[in-house]
Amino acid sequence: MTTSSAVAEPKAAATGTRRPRPRGAELIVKFNLVLVFLALCVAASLLTPDFLTTRNLSNLLQQSALTGIVAIGMTLVILTAGIDLSVGSVAAFGGMTVALLIGDDVNVVLAIVASVAAGALFGTVMGGLSAYLSLPAFMTTLAGLTAIRGLTYLLTDGEPTSAGLPHSFQLLGGGFIGYIPIVGLIFVAVTIAAGLVLRGTTFGEYIYAVGSNKEAARLSGLPVRGVITAVFAISGALSALAGVLLTSRLTIGQPTAFNGLELDAIAAVVLGGTHLFGGRGGVMGTFVAVLLLSVLRNLCNLMGLGSFFQMVVTGLILIVALILNMLMEKRGVRA
Amino acid sequence: MNASGTGGPSELTPRLSMRGIVKRFPGTLANDHAELTVLPGETHCLLGENGAGKSTLMKILAGSVQPDEGEIRLDGEPVRLTSPQAGMAAGISVIYQELDLVPDLTVAQNLLLGRAPARGPVIRRGRRAELAREAIDRVGGDFPVNAVVRELPIAAQQLTAIARALTTQARVIVMDEPSATLGENDLRKVFDVIRSLTAEGRSVIYISHRMDEVMEIGDRATVMRDGRSVSVHDLARATPDELVAAMIGESRELVRPTDRPRPEGPALLEIRRVHRPGLIDVRDIEVRPGEVAGLAGLGGAGRTTLLSALFGDTGASVSVRLDGAEPRLSSPAAAVRAGFALVPENRKEQGLMPGLSVARNAAVTALGRPPWLAPHTAGRRRATPALSGLGVKYSSPDQPVGKLSGGNQQKVVLAKWIAKGGLRVLLLDEPTRGLDVGAKADLYRQVRHLADQGVAVLLASSELNELTANADRVWVLHEGRNVACYDPRTTDEATIAHTVITGETPATKAAS
Repeated sequence: MTTSSAVAEPKAAATGTRRPRPRGAELIVKFNLVLVFLALCVAASLLTPDFLTTRNLSNLLQQSALTGIVAIGMTLVILTAGIDLSVGSVAAFGGMTVALLIGDDVNVVLAIVASVAAGALFGTVMGGLSAYLSLPAFMTTLAGLTAIRGLTYLLTDGEPTSAGLPHSFQLLGGGFIGYIPIVGLIFVAVTIAAGLVLRGTTFGEYIYAVGSNKEAARLSGLPVRGVITAVFAISGALSALAGVLLTSRLTIGQPTAFNGLELDAIAAVVLGGTHLFGGRGGVMGTFVAVLLLSVLRNLCNLMGLGSFFQMVVTGLILIVALILNMLMEKRGVRA
Repeated sequence: MNASGTGGPSELTPRLSMRGIVKRFPGTLANDHAELTVLPGETHCLLGENGAGKSTLMKILAGSVQPDEGEIRLDGEPVRLTSPQAGMAAGISVIYQELDLVPDLTVAQNLLLGRAPARGPVIRRGRRAELAREAIDRVGGDFPVNAVVRELPIAAQQLTAIARALTTQARVIVMDEPSATLGENDLRKVFDVIRSLTAEGRSVIYISHRMDEVMEIGDRATVMRDGRSVSVHDLARATPDELVAAMIGESRELVRPTDRPRPEGPALLEIRRVHRPGLIDVRDIEVRPGEVAGLAGLGGAGRTTLLSALFGDTGASVSVRLDGAEPRLSSPAAAVRAGFALVPENRKEQGLMPGLSVARNAAVTALGRPPWLAPHTAGRRRATPALSGLGVKYSSPDQPVGKLSGGNQQKVVLAKWIAKGGLRVLLLDEPTRGLDVGAKADLYRQVRHLADQGVAVLLASSELNELTANADRVWVLHEGRNVACYDPRTTDEATIAHTVITGETPATKAAS
């Protein structure tokens, strides 16, 4: 009798806590990032009085928006268990073409559309090669990283463009509505749109299915290759858009821009809790992670810590975040 | 509740004795005073439905799981197996169902991994090849030892794993369902190896769901149920029915499918020819609506190739008529549009998205229609009736599908096709692999139910008794060709089995 009750008790206790636990852990993972973000903001405003000024905050949003737009596209790619290393080069190419096209008196809207379309085309080619020929995306986009950067240099022989850009175009990347930078609004809009696509459309559900198990998705009759090609096209388009916005802000096309952007974007996606092997995660995590990383950078700047120091801190934060995620997941699996 | 205690003294010291083993996991009692006694030179079968506690007991024996209570003795000596290394050192060798070989290394490298003969830091390749050759010869393998494991057929991989287990001086060898991946011929080789092992005085613990194998190879059997050891049988005197009864307990009865009349009328699916040189050449198979057509054959006879070809997934040329029309079967997506559905051989790797929830898995096929919005709501609306119609047991539709039992996982794969709607041809590839007796019967009942609604079912299985019990006709494939068609109502299993193995048909061919 004693043994049977001793057995029954932990059993009941375990089943009692069993159901909420994985959900709780999930919430904590999501919540954790927001908590860390808020804590960091509080710490920042305590450490330096300059942090909590509208000017600084709007600068911050402006600076993080471009990386953020790219990171949203990267999130979609990583959700399908892919990776896009070419984003920095595609962004630079988009920024250069839009400057050159406008310099050649092409209509501004048309120039923007053409640049973004070029980015989408690059993504389609790299993603298509990966999807239809089963080449690893790591390699096709690594090839893209080099080739497209080279192409960008070839456009002007490596020189920045100098043609004047119309004021209306400059507003896009450098303008403000009240205190809110327009690029920040674009970032928010892109995030919401991507979130709606992921949660509210069949295409979004297919992204998760492909990322979770490509083979099972294929044998369920899903258009796996199409989905993979599409996410790379989206990533390419969003990268080119980021390039366009940068050109608009700098008022020149800069072929060396966005070097190493892919690493910032991937770091934000992973910090945001998206699984590098696909199938799990979302854009909201990425959104918060992008802001968190740039608050961190901003804080270092305000405190007068150099960029070398920032790099070290960013790396350490990534490692800690990964370990935390891993621990949470382990606990979730055990429950 | 008392542990059976010391019991009567036997004249023979058992090779292995596990007594009063208790293992608790959160929410379950995996082993509840489990007992296992294995004699030297004995092949001891361990039977039980999925979840009966067999694998936990074997993990405890291997040293990879620690028991909460209980005692393990090897040749009379109490041992504490605190790690897999300790288990190996004590002479226990486990061959897992998922082979733990390194796929990109050669057979010889795998066999002597970590123990390669060497002069200082330099590996003596010639000597290693010799040792490996000896080990492979011993288990009756005829493949080269410098072959890369990934490129070998699954049977050769299994033999490699067995050979590796034998290179250590194992006293107790555990084989976890070796037949799950082997055809009849290859299983013979494994049986020969088992016989030679026991002749040397080593003990083999053999885990299997297949009664015929157990009766053939085993000396004694321990049946487990709900974490306990419920009975020990002397297999020379036991009957399969007795064992099955012990496995499922008194509360449930063994469900046998009703022997209903064979569906008549025009064929729904006419396979005129499926051809791929060197692999498969199948002609003229017809399946009527409501018919379950069985596909029998040895491993590699072309059952899986035929089903994937019909599902648009191989380079085979396929000439098929569906209800008089010629469907386009150029890809799985096209086949799905034509009303084909496949329950693939390997549900974890090909059937399910393990990280996603039950509802999302079951709904994923049902979303491909306008307006392509609100997949969760729309999907759940279609998936929930399919899931409950099949009797899938889950705590919440948001539960990850990976946490369900094997039988329920397989039903989720099936539910995915029911949720999609418009199902005309259901292709089942080894649908009951790894399922326990109760789950198998349940799954076949659901398949029958689908057939009754006018679906044509093609059922491939390496378990002939499942085919004869559930199929209206059994087509036998041999080396890529369909060599015979039998009506299991009028042909006995032995005749079909003979054709499966030899490819020859008796003069009294019962083809229709």
